[in-house]
Amino acid sequence: MTKPLIQVGDEIREMTDEEHARYLEIIKDEVPTTDSPIDAG
Amino acid sequence: MPVPDFSPGEVLTAQAMDSIGLWLVKTQTIGATVPSVVVPDAFSADFENYRIIVSGGVASTNNGLNLTFGATITGYTRTGISMIHGSTTVTGVSQQSQTSISNIGLGTTNNLSLAFDCYSPFSANRTIVNGFGMRATAGQSVNWLSGYLDNDTSYTDFTLTVTSGTISGGEIRVYGYRN
Repeated sequence: MTKPLIQVGDEIREMTDEEHARYLEIIKDEVPTTDSPIDAG
Repeated sequence: MPVPDFSPGEVLTAQAMDSIGLWLVKTQTIGATVPSVVVPDAFSADFENYRIIVSGGVASTNNGLNLTFGATITGYTRTGISMIHGSTTVTGVSQQSQTSISNIGLGTTNNLSLAFDCYSPFSANRTIVNGFGMRATAGQSVNWLSGYLDNDTSYTDFTLTVTSGTISGGEIRVYGYRN
């Protein structure tokens, strides 16, 4: 399964397993809303 | 010290250069459709405190920019307020033990916006931030958030991770405040 992209400096590549695990932790519970994004997370 | 008044071709003295308070450390261009951007070599012993500005560029959808340092995803605290263009309602937030300082920056299909001061990221003590982000769109949000990282780790880089979708284009500029 293709992992999301990550940009490190000027290089854009697929995330490593470790980066992907971190990414999922960082965005978990984030529910973007139109009117009050500060409440998300 | 008087404000420097440089002339074309002038040989600048160390004293004049040392009086410059804000120094551009680096500029990093955000690529196309990326959900996460690492800015390496942003912090060093050269400066204690920094100003980071993200401008230009767009998001694929309404989203937020979550800030992390190094590979750390524990121990973030954020406290601040949010308002919506067209409303006087103020919404407050204060959260501890987070995986990032979330939504410190904001994005829309019109713009990306984040500016924050960062105190002592390279020093082996608490890293503190004070930031601002807005969606330049009617009915959308403006956030003012402060936070800190509950450890004494020294960091050289930071990461912006979007809450959903991707971001494209624009510049991340890192400035160091002269010690």
